Amino acid sequence: MKIVYTFLAVTLANFLFSESLLFKNASVYTGNVDEVFEDHDIYVVNGKIVEINKDLDLSADKIINAEGKVITAGFISPYSHLGLVEINMLAETRDDSSSVYSAGFSISQAFNPSSTLIPYNLNGGLTSAISTPSGNGLFSGLSSAFSLSGENKSLLLKDLALYGSIEAGGESKAANLLLMEDIFELTRTFNGDLDKIQDHALPKSFEYSKRDLMAIKRVLSKEIPLVVPVNRASDILSVIEFSKNQNIRLVIMGAAEGWRVAKQLFESKTPVILEPINNIPTSFDNLGSKLENAALLNKAGVRLLISSDRWETHNAYLSRQGAGIAVSYGLPWNEAVNALTKNVSDTFNIPDRGTLSIGHEADLIVWDADPLEVTSFAEQIYISGKLMPSNTRSLMLRDRYLERD
Amino acid sequence: MRHLIIFPLFVFLISCSSEVFDNSEREGERDDIYLSTYSPSSSGDVLVKGGRVLTGTGEELLSADILIKNNVIHEIAELIEPSPNAKIINAKGKWVTPGIIDIHSHMGVYAAPSLRSNSDGNEATSPVTPHVWAEHSVWTQDTQMPLALKGGITTYHVLPGSANLFGGRGVTLKNVWSKTVQGMKFPEAPYTLKMACGENPKRVYGSNQEPSTRMGNVAGYRAAWIKAKEYKDNKNATRDLKLDTLEGVLNGEILIQNHCYRGEEMAIMIDISKEFNYKITTFHHAIEAYKVADMLAENGICAAMWADWWGFKHEAFDMVWENVAIVDQAKGGSGCAIVHSDSGIGIQRLNQEAAKAMAAGNRAGFEIPRKRAIKWITKNPAKALGIDDRVGTLEKGKMADLVIWDSDPFSVYSKTEIVLIDGIIKYDHSDPNSPKPTDFELGIISPNENRL
Repeated sequence: MKIVYTFLAVTLANFLFSESLLFKNASVYTGNVDEVFEDHDIYVVNGKIVEINKDLDLSADKIINAEGKVITAGFISPYSHLGLVEINMLAETRDDSSSVYSAGFSISQAFNPSSTLIPYNLNGGLTSAISTPSGNGLFSGLSSAFSLSGENKSLLLKDLALYGSIEAGGESKAANLLLMEDIFELTRTFNGDLDKIQDHALPKSFEYSKRDLMAIKRVLSKEIPLVVPVNRASDILSVIEFSKNQNIRLVIMGAAEGWRVAKQLFESKTPVILEPINNIPTSFDNLGSKLENAALLNKAGVRLLISSDRWETHNAYLSRQGAGIAVSYGLPWNEAVNALTKNVSDTFNIPDRGTLSIGHEADLIVWDADPLEVTSFAEQIYISGKLMPSNTRSLMLRDRYLERD
Repeated sequence: MRHLIIFPLFVFLISCSSEVFDNSEREGERDDIYLSTYSPSSSGDVLVKGGRVLTGTGEELLSADILIKNNVIHEIAELIEPSPNAKIINAKGKWVTPGIIDIHSHMGVYAAPSLRSNSDGNEATSPVTPHVWAEHSVWTQDTQMPLALKGGITTYHVLPGSANLFGGRGVTLKNVWSKTVQGMKFPEAPYTLKMACGENPKRVYGSNQEPSTRMGNVAGYRAAWIKAKEYKDNKNATRDLKLDTLEGVLNGEILIQNHCYRGEEMAIMIDISKEFNYKITTFHHAIEAYKVADMLAENGICAAMWADWWGFKHEAFDMVWENVAIVDQAKGGSGCAIVHSDSGIGIQRLNQEAAKAMAAGNRAGFEIPRKRAIKWITKNPAKALGIDDRVGTLEKGKMADLVIWDSDPFSVYSKTEIVLIDGIIKYDHSDPNSPKPTDFELGIISPNENRL
């Protein structure tokens, strides 16, 4: 009886205070199955998805006719500096690096929800983003996931991955791997007493603070993954081997020559953050780069996450153009959309986002057409069921100069 | 200058004694070398049948045949009977466009792989270097060139970088494999001169050398033009490579390609061109062209733009997605809009960049069809490079540079199937050995495996 009363109370509360949305007759890609459901409805209550089905006969505060439209989960950028940078070349507008901390550098408190970049990327189709530190050292720090709602409480998941590089400091990659190995070994013995380990085995000039070692400990306990940018096939294998020996979770970024070691990436269950448009052999480390990389990796069973060019924070949303190009070179469409959504949330354990599922946050996008097509655009963007503003500085500038005549 | 090229011997004979033939001649000046040696073999008859054609002239033909005779477009009609020897390319269900032209490339001068030894695009040792020529830096085996070919690029314009007020001469190349730069040079294309506004020149110098400000930039341009005018008026002056180039601009033979982001700077550059009586052909990276679109149209200046890049510099902060469309539609549609790449990635898909710009314009209420938007990457760059009498459109008498796409080129899913340059197939998607890899790419993956 008590349960029934509780149920009634909750229902009554929902009825009194809730806001409900009903999206009607859309082509819906949930991310849970491969197919696109035609003429489906999505029911949202209090910012959460409650039901997805055909012909939902429900009343709602707001009914959105989505006939002829495509609805997907909001896209998630797996790598950018959104919220941390305004103008790339002006250091005074950047908040994404530290010379004091390395592995322990968390960018979570630097995120600016009012950054000018956020409305552009929101309207490009991103509803959330993993914002990462940048740096040239062995470790650049910890990334966090943020909603792009522009609201003060944007943090979704704090310190969700550590970023390391074996291409740091002009050293041989082998030297960097050795150094990483030494630091990891040291950290295993670290019990909070810094004095005990500091004059231990590390080469001179390498000092790690307690905060740095605590971050590495989280990698060693498999709580968070280590993300390593690497492109050359043999280097990918070295890093996979390293991660096996260290028994850590690895995510590889770049992987221009990934197709040459697709089997090993699959067998080691290593997810790959791809920039599918980067097919230029910019160095001797990515001579094998090509547009078919995404399709070949997918065929081998590797989990893909698609980002824009990693230097391109301002247009991080162009990950969807990269996804479209990957499709034109053989990646199945649904896999491409998964690489922009659920594969990101799954890899980094971002809760309740990435698919259109019952109980998930209603972060969803109403597209005028195929979201991977360059001429398509996001007509309506919802974050937790709230319709986001479609205005940007770009549109205001446009209108100022169009009005002149 | 073209008549000089045709009659070099004659010119040489009269150059010491006469001033009537051409006002650029000067003791020691030679116009008969550094010339293009590009000469395609005969294509014979090629008939491209039944494609959906965007001609680049503003027309769309739902199904047309294109007959190429000896490297040149001979006829475009609904139905053309093939001659017995004609090579037939079936384009039914496909789209056909003119060869794509990128007016802003650094292929060859900033090649891939981008090694220190390959960084040949900025002579950043002095802010005024009009004497350097991009063609003397081009590495003909740049791996980006065949990738651009696969993207439909048949002609591209290589510029020096933007570190300097005057960066040097640009060169227009056909996207053909050659062991020499001369073998790639677009025959008789005018030379160009790269100028740069704004942040780059003042940042590169600045610390203890002029220019360190935008006003320093402007003083630098004007000081150089004053010297150039004196040089132009004094045929007895000792020959000077810097002033040769600037004089070429004043004589209307060398086209100004001006890197310039901000509206107010474009207006100042136009004033400078009036003070010294030369013409600006194109503003490149013109992020704020939409703010001065009418002024550009009135002065007959093209703007070369990206679809959506922004924010990497302060002067790139005011990007609007409709920039290209607003320039295009200025003054009753008389604006000259160009979509450019400045990137080895972007050059592979200028069609998609144009598609994004077109879609943004149409969302803003313009009505820009594909047949108009295609000009942004064909006819308009050809015009701004002074080669529109030969390329940029599919018309009788033009060089047979054309691209056959598997589907609507204004789509992310569209890919090229065949790229013809002067009527000769340079890329064919069905040929595993196409495009031809560069020397660098041979056996580079393994002794038996090429990169491409």
